[in-house]
Amino acid sequence: MKTVQNFRVAKGLTGALLAALAFAPPAFAVPSFARQTGMACEACHTVFLELNHFGRIFKANGYILDNLKPVRGISAAKSELLALSGLPPISLMVQVSQTTLAKALPDPTADGASSQSGTVAFPQQISLFYAGKIAPRLGAFIQLTYGNDSGTIGIDNVDLRYANNVVLPQERSLIYGISVNNNPTIQDLWNSTPAFGFPFAASNATVGALAGTQIDGALGQDVAGISAYAMWNESLYGELGVYRSAKQGAINTLTEEAGPLDGGTGNVLVSGAPYYRLAYEHQWGAQSLEVGVYGATFKLVPGADSSLTTSLAGPTNEFRDNAFDLQYQYIGDQHLFTLAGTRIHEKMTLNASFENGGSENLNNDLTTTRLTGTYYFKRKYGGALGAFSTTGSTDTLLYPGLDGDGAAIAVLGSANGKPDTRGWVAELNYMPWLNTKLTAQFTQYSKFNGASNDYDGAGRNASDNDSVYLLAWFAF
Amino acid sequence: MMLVSVAGRSADTDPALKSAAQHVAVTVCATCHGPQGRSSTPKFPVLAGQHASYLAAQMKAFKAQTRGDPDALGYMWGMAAPLDDEMIGALADYYSAQTPVRIRGGDAGAITRGSDIFANGVAAAGIPPCASCHGANAAGTDDFPRLAGQHAQYLLKQLHSFQSNLRNVAVMHGVASELKTPEMTAVAAYLQSLSGS
Repeated sequence: MKTVQNFRVAKGLTGALLAALAFAPPAFAVPSFARQTGMACEACHTVFLELNHFGRIFKANGYILDNLKPVRGISAAKSELLALSGLPPISLMVQVSQTTLAKALPDPTADGASSQSGTVAFPQQISLFYAGKIAPRLGAFIQLTYGNDSGTIGIDNVDLRYANNVVLPQERSLIYGISVNNNPTIQDLWNSTPAFGFPFAASNATVGALAGTQIDGALGQDVAGISAYAMWNESLYGELGVYRSAKQGAINTLTEEAGPLDGGTGNVLVSGAPYYRLAYEHQWGAQSLEVGVYGATFKLVPGADSSLTTSLAGPTNEFRDNAFDLQYQYIGDQHLFTLAGTRIHEKMTLNASFENGGSENLNNDLTTTRLTGTYYFKRKYGGALGAFSTTGSTDTLLYPGLDGDGAAIAVLGSANGKPDTRGWVAELNYMPWLNTKLTAQFTQYSKFNGASNDYDGAGRNASDNDSVYLLAWFAF
Repeated sequence: MMLVSVAGRSADTDPALKSAAQHVAVTVCATCHGPQGRSSTPKFPVLAGQHASYLAAQMKAFKAQTRGDPDALGYMWGMAAPLDDEMIGALADYYSAQTPVRIRGGDAGAITRGSDIFANGVAAAGIPPCASCHGANAAGTDDFPRLAGQHAQYLLKQLHSFQSNLRNVAVMHGVASELKTPEMTAVAAYLQSLSGS
């Protein structure tokens, strides 16, 4: 979990940062949708997991379109009591991978020693999905994931939907619904927003940068949100929602029951976090263009995960995230091209961290920008090139370079207190079948945690964190 | 899709069925085939103004999984599976009653060449004039589909599918098997250039 409140020079920092390095596992297009609808992957995707227009409308409609004969129950007045799918929409997803870092990490257990430079993940991740219709107008995307980092099975992305549609005058459609989900933007329809954005899969055995905005995956699986949305004429989309903390594995300090949350739990949202989304999509010929805005405001107390123990009644850290995004798609039979990107600006008002010495400044800014072009030939051979950049205020306490003993924080720290990280991701993809993807992904950093050279004050360069990630990805 | 079927109903005589078909057309079919069947995406055929008998036959072929071109398998086998005969009839009526719009664009040389093939066939290869079945202005009949105003890309793919028998229609296989790709491209460009209405 990337939570900047934790970035206090303290014992245990390494553990907290290592936890932050684990990318929130991405979620996936799932074959259970294909089984349910009787339609091939390309009906909804360019290639999985990127959605095309039909896929976006399928999702907005609540994952309920199906062609299976249901098990039915009706009342004497012919109202429908049950329409259970003939087959449960179950899928499995398996990822196995090999990651190689440009320069091996130092091994803290022995002076001068290094860890292995490569990591074999077998599996990196196995996910079980229930993805499809529950009942008329009610659908679900539920993911349980075993990850090799946690070594356990846990809840992953969840999106439960109620959706309906009506025909307006002049035969315009209006889709409306409610999503209950556990990861801001997981419910979104475009692949320019964080939860389903590029890269669709990433290694969990690389070095993660210090800084990231809250809406950019920091709160995934840690919150529950309910949002109401409407889409007019399959083009204008609006959504308003609110998120609250919904911790997994947290307990009430007094009762040791699963709640209510108190100051013994870290990074608790003290009030409902409002979420908004507005997007417009235009289609012409084989092309479509979407532009939109989204954002949320999160008020968190650092709590027990930090050295700055704070009760829920204490000061909060406020993160105002506002973003815009765009997505262009050209979908031909031979050539498919997508350009997708977002720019997220975060304004932090760190009352809690500032008061407790966890940040140098009361107010900080952080901006993350990503832009990726993806090309596929006949949905079989593909490549992608993406640029990413995070920049923001200098804060030597929020982005620390020294540990409690005054020594440089090797690999994970920032010697100059800057959050700046930028670089490129390039991918080569081969899809022998539409549900099997073989990927070679190359990540290159020109700047990491504030600098290109010796960014940690312990001699590590940004390019030492470059990686080669080989992935075999199966969904069935 | 929840469809209530009562044998023998038709959209002409049953306002509820007509309304249900309109709902399916606007909220499901239109996502690919466009508003009122006026698809702007060359991959998906224009349905507006197509003959009801042809539309119904295709939906039944998708449902029976007997029409086997790639996009039929990938998209329409699933989409058509829950449709009953009444809804198929009502959807066919809905789309046949719509007015198509003209699609602009196309290579002038190809259109001229296509016009000639459409009207006169290719005598040297023994290919009959398309117009002899589809009509002089390609408006079709109850037995043969309207081609005027259809997307060239879609038409070209269908001709290839007839040629390879992925879409197994004996008459069209016979016609298309001797057609060369430039000829098919020219005919498709010509047909797209025609006014749909």
